[in-house]
Amino acid sequence: MIDNLCDQVEEKNMAVAWLYCDFLAHQEQSATAMLGAILRQLVSIREIPEDIRERFRKRFPDRGLRLPDMVGMLKTAISLLPPVHICIDALDESTPKSRQELLESLRDIVQESPRTRVLFTGRFHVAEDVKKYFAEAIIVPVSPTEDDIRVYLSVRLERDTEARAMDDDLRRDIMRIIPETISEV
Amino acid sequence: MAQISSQYLTITGNTGCFNNFINVNTAISDEDNQIREWLSPLKPHQRHQDVRAERLDGVGDWFLETSEFRKWSKGEDGSLERVLFCSGGPGVGKTFLW
Repeated sequence: MIDNLCDQVEEKNMAVAWLYCDFLAHQEQSATAMLGAILRQLVSIREIPEDIRERFRKRFPDRGLRLPDMVGMLKTAISLLPPVHICIDALDESTPKSRQELLESLRDIVQESPRTRVLFTGRFHVAEDVKKYFAEAIIVPVSPTEDDIRVYLSVRLERDTEARAMDDDLRRDIMRIIPETISEV
Repeated sequence: MAQISSQYLTITGNTGCFNNFINVNTAISDEDNQIREWLSPLKPHQRHQDVRAERLDGVGDWFLETSEFRKWSKGEDGSLERVLFCSGGPGVGKTFLW
């Protein structure tokens, strides 16, 4: 998906930034750092906006960036770019506090730059959080198709290190039963 | 030009280096890198390379053809598809879409 969007950047005059949330990196993943990761990509597209450069020069060296500063700079960067598409993976892996702050900040940004698009992936239970901030959000249920599962299985079987334990019948059963069973879930 | 020299002076001033042979462009791009680091320590590009390396050809491509995604990526003014939430149960590996 990211590659697909990046391929469209030139043709459709748009900008893309993305973020992967991660259980293992909670300390690093405050809302400020997450939004910073998005901003970091956006300022790499063109010249760094003068406003951001000025803030950098006037920063207090021993104080980190605060959330309102980050949101302000994101708004500046987005206003100077073609429509920005922000993709955030595994929203459920962020802490509840970071998630609320992230969603609130994004709502603020989208209200100011209505051409901005946001796409999240995540487990069902965070849909409510998204709806709270984006009542208009469209929920798209996704799960791998039988074909997706077949491709995945055949690659895994090819890479099987215990090849002797496998015979044609077992392989056939695996390839038939697992995709059917998973897609029924 | 005045602006460029003032940037040059700021940077050399900060580092305490007054070497006249420093290339102005290099000095400016050093500041760009510092700004990027200041904005965030996270590096989603690296993570994307890892995800891409794990991804299997064709898996999840159907999602790119859904009307929701197409409308969202087209981003027409006034279209309703401004915010998408692609949700699945535990273990369906939603990152497969990336």
